[in-house]
Amino acid sequence: VRFLLRRLGWSLFVVWAVVSIAFVVSNLLPGDPARMVAGVQARPADVERIRQQLGLGDPALVQYAHFWRRLVHLGPSVIDAKTDPAHANCAVVLPLGATAWHVDLGRSAQKRQPVVDLVATRLPRTLALALQYVFARGLGWLPLDGFGTTLGEHARCLVLPALTLGVYGAAYYTRLVRDEMVVLLQQDWVRTARAKGLSPTRVVLRHGLRNALLPIVTAVGLDFGALMGGAVVTETVFRWPGLGELSVKALLDRDGPVILACVVVTSMAIVAANVIVDALYARLDPRVRSV
Amino acid sequence: MQDGAELTADDVKRSAERALHPTTPNPNASYFENLAGYEAYAAGRADHLTGVVVEGRYVVAFHLTKPDSTFPYLVALHTLRPTCKTAGDRYSDTWLPCGAGPFKLAPNDWQRGTSLRLVRYDGYFRPGLPYLDAVEWTFNMQALAQRVRFERGELDLARDLTDADWARFTTDARWRGLGVVEADTSIYGESMNTRIPPFDNVEVRRAVAAAIDREHQVLVQPSRMSVLTQALPRALLDDPSFAGQRYDYPAALEHMKKAGYPYDPETHEGGWPHPIEYLVYDQSLTFLTAQLVQQDLAKIGLVIHFKMVSYAAFLTLQERMGASAMSNGNWVLDYPDASSIFDPLFTTRAITPDGSFNTAFYSNTRFDELAARAHLETDATVRHALYREANAILCDEAPWAFTFGHHTFDMRQPYVHDFASHPVWPLDVSHVWVDRAGVALEHVLGGGLR
Repeated sequence: VRFLLRRLGWSLFVVWAVVSIAFVVSNLLPGDPARMVAGVQARPADVERIRQQLGLGDPALVQYAHFWRRLVHLGPSVIDAKTDPAHANCAVVLPLGATAWHVDLGRSAQKRQPVVDLVATRLPRTLALALQYVFARGLGWLPLDGFGTTLGEHARCLVLPALTLGVYGAAYYTRLVRDEMVVLLQQDWVRTARAKGLSPTRVVLRHGLRNALLPIVTAVGLDFGALMGGAVVTETVFRWPGLGELSVKALLDRDGPVILACVVVTSMAIVAANVIVDALYARLDPRVRSV
Repeated sequence: MQDGAELTADDVKRSAERALHPTTPNPNASYFENLAGYEAYAAGRADHLTGVVVEGRYVVAFHLTKPDSTFPYLVALHTLRPTCKTAGDRYSDTWLPCGAGPFKLAPNDWQRGTSLRLVRYDGYFRPGLPYLDAVEWTFNMQALAQRVRFERGELDLARDLTDADWARFTTDARWRGLGVVEADTSIYGESMNTRIPPFDNVEVRRAVAAAIDREHQVLVQPSRMSVLTQALPRALLDDPSFAGQRYDYPAALEHMKKAGYPYDPETHEGGWPHPIEYLVYDQSLTFLTAQLVQQDLAKIGLVIHFKMVSYAAFLTLQERMGASAMSNGNWVLDYPDASSIFDPLFTTRAITPDGSFNTAFYSNTRFDELAARAHLETDATVRHALYREANAILCDEAPWAFTFGHHTFDMRQPYVHDFASHPVWPLDVSHVWVDRAGVALEHVLGGGLR
């Protein structure tokens, strides 16, 4: 418990630091956020009024305090105004779908798979369009895009985006798990397990894969956080209104509050993923608990 | 109205006060600065707009501080649309849109960035309209998905198609004739800062205007771009007898000579001796056309160096006095009148040290006078004559080299009828009707059904 509490304390500090840095950077960026909100053809008088309404004319420290007050109080904010449950839904579901089958692919890849390696190193956009072309346009098995309105439609709509993200990262996971497994399966305790007469599946799963999980858990944790905010191409092609697309649009529009909101959500996701990874470390390897 | 109440003059006044209240984040409020009492109301010194007067149950009068022939267009902007009483006296971003239009938004039928579903409002004031039970708009669909869905018949209309799709649909016998080209309501051009050398020299600007091959430029996006030789979109002023700015290479060389910077295309000697900084941002159409401009201007002795920035930085620098010698400018009509372009882009009063929409920092007394007189002139014929003269001044003095207009290309299914793009409301579907059964029968029985 102390281990986890210590990790949580550090996590809160990291989130505060990241958001604060993002706030400073957002204020230093060239351009006028009020202008971007009002529209590029809005007249100066209207831009100025909107600047005042958004509090952008206040000193930076006042804006900073105002931002944290709204964030902590969970009151009405730009996040509420510009996002909807679909964003959060997509942000979580897509990475989950992608990472789940990454690990499964890696587990089964105890030998070199050149085709997977080749496919997985293609650009995600090309891959997304190819999958869309074959499975949605050609075969008609799956929807072209969107995320549906029912649970069944959600599931069907998830397949192609998750496949795209999954294939893209497959090479890395395949190599990672394969390298670990190749080394581990040559260890003495594995030979002993085989000599005891255990089935090959049990040897691989219990004595091999469990010991190979430490680096995999690390990679999954990092990937999950990155996918939360980084699946821009996939989100765009499949018209999933996710955080990545929202972040890029906010950056292009110089929309400071939305940039900050995305940073808050993404950094919290990464930190949460790391806390979970730390907890899993402790579970998988008792030596970590004493660190 | 869509909440069942009757639309009266009181609703018009309440909606105007709601839209123009100082706490409303209205990006168009200052358009109404000529409305009597606007200044005090916008500053929070008055509780009501004195210029909007209810004169009867169905009569409302707008009083202006000075005559303004563009005011009827301004009143028609969506800003002053009548809203239901349920919308209240003050704006809130949580209100459910409710007005007097042909379609209404049902709760939870708007997925931000994804789709919007509108259902027919049976109490619409135009009898019998609209014909459709509901309309669902889908946003941010990728080109491939849109084309495939349209071909499968899953979409009734496809908007803003790519050049490849345009080529396919306009040459395929199954789809030919079903395309709809939206009106050109925008202008694009090369803005030259008239206060920075060499563009403080009108002959250099004329040389640039004559050196740019517009026919070449529109090949970048042939389905969406059309040659523009004047300051106004063709949807506003289409006079074939007016030459405007045309590609004329010998004339461009002659203008460079008159400017004092003669250039010899054979020896590549002469021209302006310094590189000219051209502000550009990536991820835009103009990043492509800028490269063509660079090639064209090199042929008259003007060397262009690109300065790549983000879009936000682009706007800041382009509109700052003395910060940028040349950049691409573009503008979309806010309302269908020449003043929507002339006033913000080319009048002296639009010049400010920062945030100047007059990015050429161009000033001409005669032009200012014409633009001001046009506002006061209520006779449409006289007003158009004033605009034509103002347009001619801009083409001659060339604060911009006007290059192309931009429009979108849409496709409709054969069973979609009466979809015609309107220059002001391009997606008005209140008159659209569909007849899938008729088209299917026609397909089976042949043309005899007609």
